[in-house]
Amino acid sequence: MTLSLSFCLHLSAAIFSIGVYGVLTRSNLIVILMSLEIMLNAVNLSLVAFGRAFLTDLTRDPSGPQVFVIMVLAVAAAEAAVGLSILLAVYRKWRTTNAGEIDLLKG
Amino acid sequence: MDAFVFYISGVLSVVAAALVVTRKNPVHGTIYLVLFFLLVSLDYLILRAPFLAIIQVLVYAGAILVLFLFVIMLLNLSEEELRESTSTTRKGFAGILSAGLFGLLSWGILRSPTVRNMGDLAAPVTSPTLAKAGETEAIGQALFTTHALAFEFSSILILVAILGAIYLTKKRKQTSSAPSQTSLTGLESQEEAGQKHAPADGARLEKRLA
Repeated sequence: MTLSLSFCLHLSAAIFSIGVYGVLTRSNLIVILMSLEIMLNAVNLSLVAFGRAFLTDLTRDPSGPQVFVIMVLAVAAAEAAVGLSILLAVYRKWRTTNAGEIDLLKG
Repeated sequence: MDAFVFYISGVLSVVAAALVVTRKNPVHGTIYLVLFFLLVSLDYLILRAPFLAIIQVLVYAGAILVLFLFVIMLLNLSEEELRESTSTTRKGFAGILSAGLFGLLSWGILRSPTVRNMGDLAAPVTSPTLAKAGETEAIGQALFTTHALAFEFSSILILVAILGAIYLTKKRKQTSSAPSQTSLTGLESQEEAGQKHAPADGARLEKRLA
């Protein structure tokens, strides 16, 4: 049984599409943030798959893709921390976590 | 064998992601998210990234998810507050859009000759230096030599995120009539005078007290 790069990329694309669906349909801000994490993970998976696929003797920086994934992880951690604290601040002010009800900027 | 495990965990991770997105209760969603992160870390192991697999469990399953659960329990949302009213049209539209995105990506992947001619990813790596590319030593070397600038910038990013999170969650004194109010809170008090949010707030508070 062989594992093709094509399967890894399809898997990543499927997970990313599920994340997009979650962001588009859910109105609970917590679930929207969780869908964003799913999308970031899908991207990480494709990065790791590409890194494994191009692991040949010609590769100058074999650990490069994984360092890239660590950077994405740092951004994801920062995003989760700031996103959840914004969520807390919003809940304190309007007593809701529903993205549809937070419409101060709506004309 | 490795490839077989990858196929199984891949299909399961898609199922887990779908469950995260569709569960009504965010606590259930978070538990499925743990499952999803663990399955992805298994995929990393098979793709020869052992360090990332451990970091995935530590950072995602250990830190970010605990943060999510902590916020969910801090908010302690009631059934009524969790209710969402997403229309069927919107769900259908989002479904078509995300399926279209997947189709587009799949078309791009399938027509690429580079991807098609790529060998078996589960096969063992012959060169001993390349086989160590995903281990802690090699990643540490790369992180502190080749990618040192990116590493420093990411530390600044995390510092800013920490400061932002502390500033946003800090309890500020409620001085509604103080002259040193920012323009945003001024807008808010105007709106409350316009009786837009105030009655709903009162009703919800009464419901909570009852």
